[in-house]
Amino acid sequence: MKRIHFNKLLAIIEVKGKALFSKNFIIMPIFSLGITYIMKLAYGAISKDVDMTGYFLSLGILMNVCMTGVYCVAACLAEEKEKNTLRTLMTSSVNGLEFFLGSLIPVILLMMVINVLCVLISGFSMNGIEWLCYMMITTISSTIGAIIGMIFGIFAKNQMSAGTMTTPLLMLLMLIPMFSHINQVIETISNYLFTGVIMNFIEHVTMKVSLINPLELTVLLIELVLSVLAFLVLYKKNGFEAD
Amino acid sequence: MSEECISLQHISKKFNENIVLKDVDAILHQGEILGFLGPSGAGKTTTIKILTGQLKPTDGEAFVLGMNCQNIDETIYEQIGIVTDASGVYERMSVYDNLKYFAKILSVPLENIDILLKRVGLYEHKNKLASQLSKGQTQRLILTRAILHTPKVLFLDEPTSGLDPTTALEIHKLLKELRAEGMAIFLTTHNMEEATKLCDHVALLNEGVIVEYGTPQDICLRYNKEKKYRILKSDKEEIVLIHTEENIKKLNQWLIDDEVISIHSCEPTLESVFLEVTGRELQ
Repeated sequence: MKRIHFNKLLAIIEVKGKALFSKNFIIMPIFSLGITYIMKLAYGAISKDVDMTGYFLSLGILMNVCMTGVYCVAACLAEEKEKNTLRTLMTSSVNGLEFFLGSLIPVILLMMVINVLCVLISGFSMNGIEWLCYMMITTISSTIGAIIGMIFGIFAKNQMSAGTMTTPLLMLLMLIPMFSHINQVIETISNYLFTGVIMNFIEHVTMKVSLINPLELTVLLIELVLSVLAFLVLYKKNGFEAD
Repeated sequence: MSEECISLQHISKKFNENIVLKDVDAILHQGEILGFLGPSGAGKTTTIKILTGQLKPTDGEAFVLGMNCQNIDETIYEQIGIVTDASGVYERMSVYDNLKYFAKILSVPLENIDILLKRVGLYEHKNKLASQLSKGQTQRLILTRAILHTPKVLFLDEPTSGLDPTTALEIHKLLKELRAEGMAIFLTTHNMEEATKLCDHVALLNEGVIVEYGTPQDICLRYNKEKKYRILKSDKEEIVLIHTEENIKKLNQWLIDDEVISIHSCEPTLESVFLEVTGRELQ
């Protein structure tokens, strides 16, 4: 197990945090907030009798977990390779664990903030325990998204290839839960996706039924463990640069 | 004898069936500059990658500051600095912020940054974005970052390649100062003038094999089989005379008659030695 030096970790978090606010990446969390707000504006006026705030929130969260989590992390790592700064960092006494945590912590924190803002923008109401469960589920999902982004980042040579590689997965992660009510097969697949678990949770809160289904929690934890294991295996084989 | 900083012992490296390095031996001591001189593809960058733990040798052993390069971990990077063509800068950050980032990683006091920036002539550009720097300024920034933590060993892979002569001279001056301060510098170049000027020892590398090793002067003298003089006469005629009794008499007469503008001895250069040994040009 590599040792973590906090001076190095904090320096990486600071720089990665600033990078997230650059125009290349900040557009993704803003887009998540924007889609929540636009949906509220568009549907809010025409559906006064039905509570659609949960739907607005779901779309915003899906965008956030996929675009900020998967895409931004993959593109951020790919950018480091493209500009040759990753090699420079790794030959400046930063170890893989420090880089991994330093890259993920700011993204996950940003996603947590966006997840909260999406609730406020959508107008979705939750009590204390629902908030607690919401934060737990969205944070675990955000972490899974970010780790998957890191895995894609290992194979992406530059930001363009990061975009190309992640797009099919992003579409699946977003569209399957969004269209899960179309038929039983899609619904079953959706139930086994971390993005589907978020949608289900918001639906449970809206319908005032049991908040966390044990199967859904198991799905989240298994996907978290699997993503970490997949990352570790691929990192051990390739480092951060598969090329 | 000063401390041994780098030791290459019978290093070979193969990529599939392609032999890139073959039985390479070299030693670099503290306060010395060792140059690996050779054309593109000679194995210079591969040697640096092996020494910095980025590649494993197929055979042989390499040591940096006593640590076997095959078992290198990140702690060694606190004692070495690396400048290669794969060294990058954070373009969206200023010159100062680039250095601040690495100063925090390497636990270097932030006050040192300004001192170094003044030393390399980048102080007036400290608030400029790295993306706005010229190639020479970027190379100086990369070099500054590599010496920020005052490493014991500095690896430079063609540090002046593609730079204008003024910037190259400034970098040479800095390298000489660093050597005088006790830093061991491992330099690769295909510029024989640079190698002659800077290096205490050079290894001429051709297709992965060291074909000559020694001080630049010794290597050149080894190939100085026939003394020659290049003479520019007052009628602008340039003549090369081989050192023979008859030619010396001739030269003596020209001097008496005041027909000579300049006389230069024609020792072999590293480039001509390389050409003689390998039949290949360096550039």
